[in-house]
Amino acid sequence: MDEDKKSSRPGVIETEITMGPVHSAAIEPYRVRLFVEDEIVKDAEITVGVNHRGIERIMEGLPVEKANSLTEKICGICSNSHIWNSVLVAEKGLGIEVPERAAYIRVIMEELERLHSHLLYLAHGNEVLGHETFAMRLFYIRETVMELLRMIGGNRVQYGVSIIGGVRPRCELDEMRIQKIIQGMDYLEEKIADFADRFVSDPMVISRITGTCPIPKKEALRLAVSGPTLRATGVELDLRRDMKEYDPFEFDVITQEGGDVKANLLMRVLESFESIKIIRQAIKDLPKGPITDRSWEMQDTDVIKSYIEVPRGRLYHSYRLEDGRVRGSIVRTPSMTNIGAMQYACIGHHITDAQLGIVQCDPCFTCTDRAIQIIKL
Amino acid sequence: MSLKSYSRARAVHVMLVYTGGCNGCDIEIVNSIFSPKYDAEQYKIFLTWNPREADVLVVTGPVTKHNEKPLKAIYDAIPEPKAVIAAGACALMGGVYKNIHGDIPSEEIAGPVDKIIPVAAKVPGCAVRPEDVLAGAVAALPLLLEAK
Repeated sequence: MDEDKKSSRPGVIETEITMGPVHSAAIEPYRVRLFVEDEIVKDAEITVGVNHRGIERIMEGLPVEKANSLTEKICGICSNSHIWNSVLVAEKGLGIEVPERAAYIRVIMEELERLHSHLLYLAHGNEVLGHETFAMRLFYIRETVMELLRMIGGNRVQYGVSIIGGVRPRCELDEMRIQKIIQGMDYLEEKIADFADRFVSDPMVISRITGTCPIPKKEALRLAVSGPTLRATGVELDLRRDMKEYDPFEFDVITQEGGDVKANLLMRVLESFESIKIIRQAIKDLPKGPITDRSWEMQDTDVIKSYIEVPRGRLYHSYRLEDGRVRGSIVRTPSMTNIGAMQYACIGHHITDAQLGIVQCDPCFTCTDRAIQIIKL
Repeated sequence: MSLKSYSRARAVHVMLVYTGGCNGCDIEIVNSIFSPKYDAEQYKIFLTWNPREADVLVVTGPVTKHNEKPLKAIYDAIPEPKAVIAAGACALMGGVYKNIHGDIPSEEIAGPVDKIIPVAAKVPGCAVRPEDVLAGAVAALPLLLEAK
């Protein structure tokens, strides 16, 4: 945690271990360079860019509806967050009031997505830990969420629920769907609690992950880490507290201490329970009424910005509208800032912990790969 | 039946290569092999990350320019006989990334996959469904088993 531990590459480092772009431990293509001395990682460097598809440039000049559904293709894990935030940008600019029922359905989708993302994180984390049985069990639990997402949106991955002014008519929640969601939530709560009990009572797993690759609170704030990775270091910062969509719901902002792998894994387990809580409240108080407001008119706008809290942290979208077309679109995904934490977490630890340190920050390099320029001020 | 094809009939190893899609297909493919619900492992289909062990290469994503060379290198490293499955809309025709701007050529995308390496089976979908992945893997099996 001292000054000399971090990023100044000390003198000559003899061994450099590189991974990627395609590597067994990392499903996504990215490149890691680990500078190793006596099996201890002295410096780490993560490079993205292999995956660059130039989404923002493709979005330039597209009609806004088309551009919104394109943002969904940025990421296959948090696709709903992208389309939701992109739609929010347009709604803010055009002054559209979303019907209450539509806002509730969007929140339900977002929380379902958070559940599936967190369960995927836990499964991937356990796989990297070498505990394949836990990973398979988590994949089985996750399947319930995937079925619910498929039921509402019609597809298992890219469900495209939000449109400008509400949600798609297909995603209306009728009585049968509501019953299925309630059943699913009961099942998930029981199974995740069961998993958590098993997980924390396993001494082998706990001894492996306690105190591994910690990120101190101060460093996390300096590196502008966001989302659950930040909250795992003890900072109580959740954008959902400030979002007006989440005003009707009661939920706790979970924090953990230490920012090590254990804190991060438990963080996701506890957040899953909060998501279940929010979904139950939304289902209970689901307002009646229309789900789409079509009484809006297209007009030119200034640059509009929108931040929302997504499973991995803080997501930023901005663009301006010109003749119903998108101009100057900018997207910043949470993993962009979390890369700093990933590099930090590896340094000073044994090389066998390095992959765990990267995975504990919940990397999603696919969404992160876009044209960026880092300017040092 | 040679020793190689005898052993191959009992354990088909699938390698997943990811060339710039959105993560959706990859998770579904890992899901279809790994998750207890679909569980391709019960049909002796295993996921590997070593090209020298692999029999089937599953490629997802539209193949970005940066990924073209690594993909060729991985394809060359797999021993004969081998089969390539292109999974997902991006791997089949470049997906939205290549096609949304009409006829204007894309500067980022080198794909689709069959431009770069020969493809044996194609699995459609955005994202692919696990059932379709299993069907695609089964369709590619005769190529491996009948080879001398």
